[in-house]
Parts: sequence; structure tokens; C-alpha cells
Amino acid sequence: MMAVNMKRRGFVKALFVAPAAPALLGQQAPAPGVPANPAPGIPLNPTQSVPPPASASNELPKIDIMVPDAAAEPMPHFFARAEFAALQRLSGILMPSVNGAAGALEAKAPEFLDFLIGDSPSDRQHLYRAGLNALNAAATKRFNKPFSELDAAQADAVLAPLRQPWTYEDPADPLARFLRVAKADIRTATVNSREFNNAAAGGRRFGGSGTYWYPLD
Amino acid sequence: MAAHTLTKKGISCLMLDAGPLVDFNRVRGPKPVYELPYRGFGKPGRLPHVMQANEFNANQWVDETEVPYTHDPKSPYNWVRVRMIGGKSLFWARMSFRLSDYEFKAKDHDGFGENWPIGYADLKPFYDRVEPIFRVAGRNEGYSQLPDGVFLEDDSPWSGAMKRFIGAASKRDIPVTKMRRATGRGQFASSFNLLLPDALESGNLTIIPNAVVREITVDKNTGLANGANFHDRHSGREMHAKARIVVVGASCLESTRILLNSKIANSSGVLGHYLHDQTYITQGVQAIVPEAKDGKAPRGLMGGGGYSPRFVNLKSGKEQNFIRGYAFDFSTGGTPDPKFIPAYGADLDKALNSYRGAGVTVTLMGEVLPRYENFAAIDKKVVDAWGIPVLHIQARYSENEFNMMTHATNTFEEVCHDAGFEILAKHDKMLPPGYSIHELGTCRMGDNPKTSVLNKWNQSHDVKNLFVVDGSSFVTGGYQNPTMTILSLSMRASEYMAEQMRAGNL
Repeated sequence: MMAVNMKRRGFVKALFVAPAAPALLGQQAPAPGVPANPAPGIPLNPTQSVPPPASASNELPKIDIMVPDAAAEPMPHFFARAEFAALQRLSGILMPSVNGAAGALEAKAPEFLDFLIGDSPSDRQHLYRAGLNALNAAATKRFNKPFSELDAAQADAVLAPLRQPWTYEDPADPLARFLRVAKADIRTATVNSREFNNAAAGGRRFGGSGTYWYPLD
Repeated sequence: MAAHTLTKKGISCLMLDAGPLVDFNRVRGPKPVYELPYRGFGKPGRLPHVMQANEFNANQWVDETEVPYTHDPKSPYNWVRVRMIGGKSLFWARMSFRLSDYEFKAKDHDGFGENWPIGYADLKPFYDRVEPIFRVAGRNEGYSQLPDGVFLEDDSPWSGAMKRFIGAASKRDIPVTKMRRATGRGQFASSFNLLLPDALESGNLTIIPNAVVREITVDKNTGLANGANFHDRHSGREMHAKARIVVVGASCLESTRILLNSKIANSSGVLGHYLHDQTYITQGVQAIVPEAKDGKAPRGLMGGGGYSPRFVNLKSGKEQNFIRGYAFDFSTGGTPDPKFIPAYGADLDKALNSYRGAGVTVTLMGEVLPRYENFAAIDKKVVDAWGIPVLHIQARYSENEFNMMTHATNTFEEVCHDAGFEILAKHDKMLPPGYSIHELGTCRMGDNPKTSVLNKWNQSHDVKNLFVVDGSSFVTGGYQNPTMTILSLSMRASEYMAEQMRAGNL
């Protein structure tokens, strides 16, 4: 085992050394008799470049970056206007801002879901479109206006399926089936957002961080 | 394990691995979920069969478009694969159990299927040696259906909620023990860090990564295997490696695929058949410990989990409406999934805050009967990225599994009820076959060459210098996670190989 451990240490050491190699590729090896480490800033001859100070050559700058949501607005285009309005209203009701934490609207969850569902297989797209249209139809039937224009009490009446006990089987009713999926998706799109992370969580649990696997070679 | 055992016996080994050698410090790194392009949802449709995948780990699984497989759309099979040196042992749940003679001699017990050609006594010495390598922690309990092992003793105390569950379970003769889990070393309990370094240190192991094996080649004069043809994963270049003995351990279904594409080792006609695994129900019961609601749990009430090994059908003639058995793997102290709570908005937040840390949930794991009609065969119409024909997989659970898992769910719910827990939700819907990542049985062993692919030494009946050392050799899988048994069988087969080579028989 000792031999293996020593080999491993050697390997790790090699890994640490490797990044410095590219900086040396363009340099000549010192001529015989010439000190390998001349004083910084003193060229050995007129054609030799001045080696930069060790700190500048070895330390790479830390470049801060942002996710696009921090500086740009999403451009939803998948859902029709009435569908998207219903999704926005639904998102605000299912995941409101609580105790200072970002809600679904602050997290731009509807806009994100427009992108996600637009990039999804057709069965999921159909589930959403049919569900949002069913939501509007139910609202119009009971209150003669689309879901986006309902007040809180009216919306609660239409969302009654979400107050039914959970069952493993998907509900037979398309609206109930959609609402179950939307409840989970809107929550995930919210708690996993940058806005939710930045705001006080208000007792809610942020989606957190994890170990990301980059593509394998 | 085969490379570990053989190289330490002084045998020179060449290992072909379909995946790369991964530098874990380079390919992994922490990220907040909001930095992921899909906010943690993952790219839609990317890994439709890998329910374990998420946006963080999506790149660790085999790309289903690169290495596809087919199945009847009405009978999904979740084939979960990893291709990198270390394979699935890099990611397993580390649950480490022994099989017992309830499995090795299952036919004697209930008349179904076949016995293994070996018994527990044959494998016990190898379990005894494998468990210390993987540093398995657990408690020796003396169960006949879950043999004791060479464990790091787990003497951690039970929480109050666990004591209540154990008390209620004992009235039904349901045993509860600590989980038996490989602790490994450092980050892993894997062949990557526990087996391969010693094999390499012996100087007898050469590893070729990114070597996608197309087929095993056979000498037409002798009928013996003489090597393997493989493709370089990146360039596609095809090469041949010679061998005196060929040992296949590519995981159950990949090994089977290689043998089927090689058109060898199948005089019995059962190669690819008897595919089975363990059936899983996750979150089968979601319960709440009432005294822990609203953050009022006294110190020591919540936390920890337990494992209940099979407790049904242990006496012949006492069967329920199913044969064989199941296990509970359960935990206390979590928070229920919001889907279980019939509320939304502020009401949902209020309920989640009340239930936080008060949850009890269970994964139910049941034995699947090995049946001929569950099989994998070559789908000649579809090839992978290297032009190698892929598998068509057909696997369906039978009435036995449905009845068993309904019994499992109802029983766990009843114990929770007896323990004074509130039941929030329950269901008995099994996940699709394959979900457990415990595929087994497609090169099963047996004494009869007409009904089995391998003999009791994991050696092909047809090709004497061909060995298969993964879960495909299983005759029955029991309810237990199979890793310790696979490793023990592999060690046993490899020592047999070494003896036969020394004796000049191979």
C-alpha cells in the first residue's frame, strides 16, 4: 500500500504542477552556465524578455460572473397570451411571497416554465396547454371571466382539486391532473431561482447547491 | 474484484473498460442550483429511463442516445448505466447484505424456480473476506434470513421514534436492525479506491479505458475464447486483445449483450432469460410523528432509520397470497414532500413548517421471481454509436410482486399506526423494472448445462475459459441488495480460476 500511496502523492503533485506548464512553453531553456533564476526584472541579454513577478505569472485572476437572470429579462413565447396570463395568476397563488421570500412571480417562475415546457416533449406541452385552457374554461363557466381576472376567493373555488388528499394515481380530470403537476413545477422553479436564494427564505427551504458533474471526456 | 483477486495471485490481467478514467477533482464541482440552465429540472427528455438522474449528476450516466436500448412502450424498463472506471460502484447506496439459504435453496422452500448450485456455506468464507475490504458497518443479530457478517459494529442508539416503531413491529414479529452499509474509505466504497489500487500495485494489471467491447472472439479449432474485439470510445478504431482466459464483468445486461453479440455460451437457450431485480416502492408510506410537529420534538425523539429484513414466508406452508419476501428501509426526521399535503400557497408553507423534521418514510424492496419470459435479446435493427447491436428488454412484474408489495405497504402502515404515527399518505405502486439498478439472472448458474449458462464457478458450460462475474449469474436475487454477493462470487470464481490455471486445466 505504501508504494501506491506514494504513487498517488506523486500523481497529485503532478496535477498541481501541470497548469504552470503552458506559461513556460514559449521560453527557452537557460543556456549552460547561465543561472536558472536570475534576479527578477534583469534581462540576461537584450533578446530575453523580462520574467514577470512570480505573483503575477502564477496567480490567475478570479472573474466574477452572473447567471443571465441577474441582468436580462426572459422572453416567453411558448404559451398563448391567455394561457400565460393564467399561468402567471396560478403561480402567484400557489407560491406567493411569504415573509420576505421571493414568490413565484418575483422568481419569474412563469417565464421560466414557458421556456422549460416549450423545450419539453409534446405530452408535457399538451398537459400544460390543455390544463391552462381548462383553468380558463372553469373560471369562465363559474365567474364569466378568465382565471387571470379572478379574485382570491374565486380562484380558490376553481383550485378545489388541490385541496383533495393525495393519491398515487393521476387524477382522471385533466384540470386536476395539470394542477398537481403545476404545483410541483411552480414550487421547484421558484425555490431553485436566484431570486429566491437572494431573498430571505421566510421559513421555506432554498433548493440549495449540489455537486455538479461536468461532461466526461 | 476479479482483477483484484487474480493479480494478487500473480496472474497478468488486461482490463478493458468502456468508460474513461475520471479525475474527480476536475469533473465535479459545487454549484448553486440556480446556476444550472434548467433550474434543477434537467434538460427535458434527456435521460427518460434514469429516475435517479437530476441536473447535477446528468453527465455521470450513460447517454441513452449514444447507447440506446429498446422495449415495448407499454412495458418500460429502466436500465441505469454508468461507464467509467469504477462503474456503478462509484454511486451505489452501499447497502451491504448477505443472501441466505432462503435464497440459495429457494426451490426447496417454496417449490418455485431453481436452487442455486451452491449454498450459503459455500459463499460464507468469501463474504467474510469481502466485508472487511468494504468496511461494512452493521449489527449482528442472528437472523436466519439475513446472515451476520464481519462488521464494524454499529452501536449507535435508537431515537425515540425508532424505539416506538421497533416496539410496534416486535408485536408482529417484524425484526428491525441498523442498516448494513459499506463505509469504504474517503469518498468512495468502490472498486476504484478499494480494489484497483492493490491490483495495480501488484504490477500485474493493465487497464485500458474507453474500450467498448463489441464481441468475444473464439478459436474455431478449440472452441475456446481467445480475446475480445473492441472500439476506442473516441475514435471508433477497432482493435483486438488476446487472452488466455476471458472474464466478463460488465454488469448483468451489458455482459449478456456482449455474449449474445458474440454468439457464444448459449447452448442452453437461456442466455438473456430469467431477468429479475428487486422491486422498489419509494415513499410507500409517509407518516408524521405527532409529538415532533411545530418544532416541538424533544431532544432524541427524531432521527435515524432502520432496516427490517424479510419476515414473511419464513416457514414452509405459511405463505400469504405470494411467495418470497420483502424488506423495509425506513427513516425518521425528514420533511414530507409538498405533494402529500393537500394545500397550496401560505397554507402549504404553514403545513410544511409544522411537519419539518417530523416525518417518517420508507422504501419497500421486494424479491422479484426469476421468470423465463422476462428477458433481454439483441435488437438487430438498432445499433449504438459504435455500430454494436443493442438490447431489447422485456420485463414485467407478475401477480406475485403486486400482491407482495401491497402486503408490504399495508404492513408498514399498520406498524406506523400502532406506533402512534399519523399517516399522511401511502401507495403500493412499484417503480418500473430496472429502477433498483439490481439487474440479475440473465447468465444464471446451475449444474445442468441445458438449463443454465454458467456452472457453480461462474464458468461457461460451453466455453471453458470464459467466466462471467457480475449479477447475471444469480439464480434468485432475494430481497437483498446484491453487491456483497456479486463481489463474493467474483472472488470465489477468481480463486477457482487461479487454481485451475496452476493445475494446467485452463
